[in-house]
Amino acid sequence: MSRLDRRSFLKGAGMLGASTALAGAGTRPARAADKPINFSGWVFKPDTVKDYVDFFNKKHGGQVKYEAIPWAQYHPTMETRSFAGEVVDVMYCAHNFRERWHENGLLRKVDDLPGMDELKKKMTPANLESLKNKDGSLSSVPYFTSLFILIYNEPMLQQAGIKAPAKTWDELMDHCTKLKKDKVSETPYLPNWNNSPSGTMPQFMSDCFSEGANVFDAKNQVIVDQEPGAARAMERWQKAWKAELVNPEVLTKTSSTDTHRLFWSGRYAYTTTHSYYLKSSAGEPENSKLAPKKAKMAMYPGTGQSYMWTDGYTVNAKSKNLEEAWKLARFLGGNLNGDWYVQRQWCLIAGLDNPYPEMYEHPEIVKSYDNWVDLKLLKTQYTKGKVIAAYKEPWYGEYDTKAIAIVQNIIRGSLTVPQGLKDLAKLQKSLA
Amino acid sequence: MAAEAPGTLSIGRTGRRRTRAVFRPVVLSEAAFAWLLIIPAVVGILLVIVFPLLYSFWMSFADVNLLRATGPAIEIFGIRLPLFRFVGLQNYARTFADPVYWSSLWRTLYFVGAFVLEATLMGLGMALVLHERFAGRPLMRSLLLIPWSLSRVVVGLLWIGILDFEFGVLNGILHRAGLIDGYIAFFKEGFRALNVLVSVYMWNQAPFATLLLLAGMQSIPEEHYMAAAVDGAGYWRRLWYITLPALRPILFLILVLSTVNAFLMLDLIYVLTMGGPAQDTTTISWLGFQTAFSFFKFGPGTAILYTLTALCLLLTFVYHWVVLRRYEAEA
Repeated sequence: MSRLDRRSFLKGAGMLGASTALAGAGTRPARAADKPINFSGWVFKPDTVKDYVDFFNKKHGGQVKYEAIPWAQYHPTMETRSFAGEVVDVMYCAHNFRERWHENGLLRKVDDLPGMDELKKKMTPANLESLKNKDGSLSSVPYFTSLFILIYNEPMLQQAGIKAPAKTWDELMDHCTKLKKDKVSETPYLPNWNNSPSGTMPQFMSDCFSEGANVFDAKNQVIVDQEPGAARAMERWQKAWKAELVNPEVLTKTSSTDTHRLFWSGRYAYTTTHSYYLKSSAGEPENSKLAPKKAKMAMYPGTGQSYMWTDGYTVNAKSKNLEEAWKLARFLGGNLNGDWYVQRQWCLIAGLDNPYPEMYEHPEIVKSYDNWVDLKLLKTQYTKGKVIAAYKEPWYGEYDTKAIAIVQNIIRGSLTVPQGLKDLAKLQKSLA
Repeated sequence: MAAEAPGTLSIGRTGRRRTRAVFRPVVLSEAAFAWLLIIPAVVGILLVIVFPLLYSFWMSFADVNLLRATGPAIEIFGIRLPLFRFVGLQNYARTFADPVYWSSLWRTLYFVGAFVLEATLMGLGMALVLHERFAGRPLMRSLLLIPWSLSRVVVGLLWIGILDFEFGVLNGILHRAGLIDGYIAFFKEGFRALNVLVSVYMWNQAPFATLLLLAGMQSIPEEHYMAAAVDGAGYWRRLWYITLPALRPILFLILVLSTVNAFLMLDLIYVLTMGGPAQDTTTISWLGFQTAFSFFKFGPGTAILYTLTALCLLLTFVYHWVVLRRYEAEA
């Protein structure tokens, strides 16, 4: 029996390695990354994200490990993991958490990374502004952008003899009152007044903007108590609640997703919600009674302005493989090697918009959007999208959550409009 | 083998031919041997229960930012645990100065009181029924456990399906039966929503109380009932003078467990109301969770939650005093 000594083992191993390398050469599309990249995001179509990751690994030779975390726990989970010393190389980050992560050194600034200047030039200025940190630097690339839009149920309006959707809030209230009176709908109006951070407060800001009111001043102080437009919006909300034009349980819905799904039933005439939800209402006949294209978009009433935000992909400041992490971030939020693959897919699959206007000239996207929305109108609505900078303040998260109770108390009439608006300003001052 | 003194045990091998070194038997007292056996469990408990408790208690006196973990730290098995900046009683002072804390506390006490009462009475009622002999009793006893065995998130979603204003089954049935004209919005008013939470939680937890009470009832000697029957005691007298006194230790257990569970209940709020409308279903546990995980204020968050711990301990002593004092004296 021959003995295997150290020398012969190394020789054999070397030959085996060389033959494996030779056999593999030319069959792989790109060199695999030396170290794996960890990538985490909140749960939104995780199978779709997994497909992107597989595509990236295959086409760009990556070794990306993807993990989806439930939305509600996503940001606390990422912070806890960072606390425990774990480094997640590429992470989703909602706009209102980004500044906190940036200020505490969790994120790598991306301004100086290759290709970022080109991406900046391609973005709309408003989106670029909303992506920037308070100090003007940039530590994320766009995942998607959205804004509040008005959606109406065309067959219901026709049934009631209403020829065109409301252009003003007064008109919308008149339509809803008529629909209730005629028993066409028990609760014709579905505002996004749910209890989550994506519900009541963004809806509040949207309606304030549409009434020509500012919510924050240039120093990010809450000034709604000095804005007549904010008072008008709140009086209207009180009126809608008192007249029972609104689903009485909308205040306890736990997410915007749950809220918008109610619209699928076809029992509501109007809803105000995130733009991408129109895709499911008007473009998914398997889910919605208002598909295809019975749910339609109209310009946001009043001034037409509504709240707009941009969420992003970020790179961990402690990433040991910055080159690969940035490559993945560019693939996800930009145009790695000139290909807008992920951004385009999000538009096609979920109606998630992005801040790159050139995307909307792509024939595939134009054709796809035509199945559920008037793209020209949507683009016009985006020109009216209003971004705020207050979410970059350290107190914003707590204000944004605690303010929900105040606004819901205004809606229910537990607080008068002037008192409620004063309470909002007082709350912000107490936290600042 | 060497002779052993009474009450001692020897550990180690002697007299083996191949062993190079000679091991002398280690003679341990019974107490030392017992300690040796339980040390792994004690270490586990210290690491998994005592240490996190102490660390979180420390956090309630500190200014905690998980993303800024520099400064003094302790290190355990290579894991660095920062101590953060000590702020004394500041977190507790701020908590007690917040009117939302106090409104949440009163709401929590109502929730706990209503839940403990409902769960105990319902559990007792179901146990009394299932203690009787009737056809299908084994099946009923098995089915009883289903609500308790469900995940609370599933329970929440299930009850949304039943109670929802728009598509709830209950509204549909009541409406079709002609009992209501318009649908009932169970979550519209805050107090009603809070009571719905109590009932849903009771539905989920009462089977556990039933199970414990049923076990307690089965351990009561039949002779007691027979003797009482001979003395002319009816059903209610037998219940009052035999069953309930015998169930006191079980009732104590149920009261303690359901009180602690009710104080800490979070998941149903998360699924059903998110603390709303406005803050009408915000309890202390929800407020603590929000403060820690939504506002990232882990110091005040843990301070809020430690006040719950103190309340649980206090109520446990009260229950012990009220329920078990006489029982233990008699025993």
